[in-house]
Amino acid sequence: MGTDLAYNFVFKVVLIGESGVGKSNLLSRFTKNEFNHDSRTTIGVEFSTRSIQVDNITIKAQIWDTAGLERYRAITSAYYRGAVGALLVYDITKHLTYENVERWLKELYDHADPHIVVMLVGNKSDLGNVRTVPTEEAKDFAEAKGLLFMETSALESTNVESAFLEVLTEIHKKVASKEVTRGSISAVTLGQTLGPTSEFKEERQSCCKS
Amino acid sequence: MAKLQSGNGVQWKDNKSQRGTVENLAEHESSSLGSNTELNGFANTDIQTDRYGFIGGAQQSAGENDDIPPDVLRQREAKWLDMLNSWDKWMAKKHKKVKVRCQKGIPPSLRGRAWLYLSGGKVKKEQNQSKFQELDSQPGDAKWLDVIEKDLHRQFPFHEMFVARGGHGQQDLFRVLKAYTLHRPEEGYCQAQAPIAAVLLMHMPAEDAFWGLVQICEKYLPGYYSAGLEAIQLDGEILFALLKRVSPVAHRHLKKHKIDPILYMTEWFMCAFSRTLPWASVLRVWDMFFCEGVKIIFRVGLVLLKCMLGSQEKLKACQGQYETMELLRSIEPRYMHETFLVQEVIELPVSERDIEKEHLSQLRRWKETHGELHCKSPPRMHGAKAIMAAEPPSRQDLKQNPTIIVEVPQATESQAEKGKKVKKSKTEKKKDTNNTSPPLNPYPLPSDPTLPSDNLSQHLQKDAPLQSSSQSLSSAEHDTYL
Repeated sequence: MGTDLAYNFVFKVVLIGESGVGKSNLLSRFTKNEFNHDSRTTIGVEFSTRSIQVDNITIKAQIWDTAGLERYRAITSAYYRGAVGALLVYDITKHLTYENVERWLKELYDHADPHIVVMLVGNKSDLGNVRTVPTEEAKDFAEAKGLLFMETSALESTNVESAFLEVLTEIHKKVASKEVTRGSISAVTLGQTLGPTSEFKEERQSCCKS
Repeated sequence: MAKLQSGNGVQWKDNKSQRGTVENLAEHESSSLGSNTELNGFANTDIQTDRYGFIGGAQQSAGENDDIPPDVLRQREAKWLDMLNSWDKWMAKKHKKVKVRCQKGIPPSLRGRAWLYLSGGKVKKEQNQSKFQELDSQPGDAKWLDVIEKDLHRQFPFHEMFVARGGHGQQDLFRVLKAYTLHRPEEGYCQAQAPIAAVLLMHMPAEDAFWGLVQICEKYLPGYYSAGLEAIQLDGEILFALLKRVSPVAHRHLKKHKIDPILYMTEWFMCAFSRTLPWASVLRVWDMFFCEGVKIIFRVGLVLLKCMLGSQEKLKACQGQYETMELLRSIEPRYMHETFLVQEVIELPVSERDIEKEHLSQLRRWKETHGELHCKSPPRMHGAKAIMAAEPPSRQDLKQNPTIIVEVPQATESQAEKGKKVKKSKTEKKKDTNNTSPPLNPYPLPSDPTLPSDNLSQHLQKDAPLQSSSQSLSSAEHDTYL
């Protein structure tokens, strides 16, 4: 993904949702432009970063991924700490994964910052012929809950960039407007200039592991 | 194009929208169930697997220089066969020796069998002879089957055994995991059980692997895979507490940056390092783990933490939480190398007692913050000896029941006396009955005093080198290869 230049912000974003919906591939697609049909089951925590430009500001997105299986929710509080954004992912071909979104939202609000930016993501849009979750229905639900919404395909790379970009832009807006107090979002700073503090860093090496 | 990732997973760029990786490898075959999608026996596939079955260097082979000389290997095989033959005696009276031999590494040809014996899985299997069959034939809970099915192609996908969708490896994995959910319906399925079962399946058939899994889930790592994951969280705290003594520098750093143990040790411990280390090291760790229990897992974790974060020099590279976690995710190969790691693990002064002591202390802390444990797991067994002591087997339980018998031509009386166990699947039954004379051993072991008569040896043994090597081998006990 090219050399990682100095960045202004670090935003921690978490990927949540049922097992098998495609969280890990959304991560790898966005941060490494990779997709794997047989990517390993996530156990514990995976993470990756990518820096992007938003309104002339460089944002380093720290994306965290974890196991979706029910019983792993017991260990997620450490995972949510400091997150300013979340992509709540479901599989458009598996209605059950959409039905469980409410539970994930509750989980999210129980553990994460109340101002966290959330996007509902319907993944696997390339499998439209076996869709079980109508777009409009999900879109309305997202609106009612105050969530952003997008349908993506990590396989075909459709809308993956847009989804992350939208979330990061929204986070940036919140931060810039000082809607959130500094203490509640630890990875983010409100300063605009580069400086020697630990939250601003100069990096010369590439941000993505290769 | 394959790319290496930390551990033994491999990710590669997939530019084409293909269903199933098997299509990349066998383009002329349709991806359907059955053995025609298996990798082996395909003339048109140019796939290289390493000695462990991994494709494309996915297991981080350290090179050939660590190979054990064949004569040493043969010696060890002989010793292990001897041990397995009188397992209860060895475990009762010569356990220290068993431990040392596990530390040196179990010979690959006997690893599966040794693991089954060490874990007590063999005994369980014999005491419940039709159990697996029974569970295997049941349909299973749809809820669990759904999750299991999603995971079948996500375990060691670059191992030849598991690469084919719907192939025998994935089928067996399904059977083993399903059987467990039926065996312990209140536990159900936890995703980390899949890599554990997969490693077992690489060394033994499904029924054996099932019992190996049972023993790991119930005796070695009880509660690891249960709802609430309390046991793993507790062990994370224990690990962190032990780190204070082992490497105060690393401990301080992790504390300062508020890096919860659960953020780095979950996959390590739940998968017993099978997804972290190069394969040769995984096998050595498991050899010791089956013998000595969870303290091996703790020691590996502590060694890795100490190596990666144990000095100010190393810490310069990680200024924050994220950087530290990245560092722990890409452990330097030299620290994971078989020889280095095994030596460090053996030498690290962390005992069962240390772990149990810390366990009590962390449990107390847990109760203060979380209340009572939701899942009360049974106490863990610290290795093979403890397991055996808790449930002493009968001789019958330990008896070898070979499934393949080698038919040999007429055996004479004197030659029959020399009949002994041979390696791997070509085991011959040691008959106590006197209806037929025992079959002749076509593969004499180095400890055999003499070889069979010329006629027979010409018939059965085609390679002369085998004969000469048995004479040059010493039966000395000292085996300094680590």
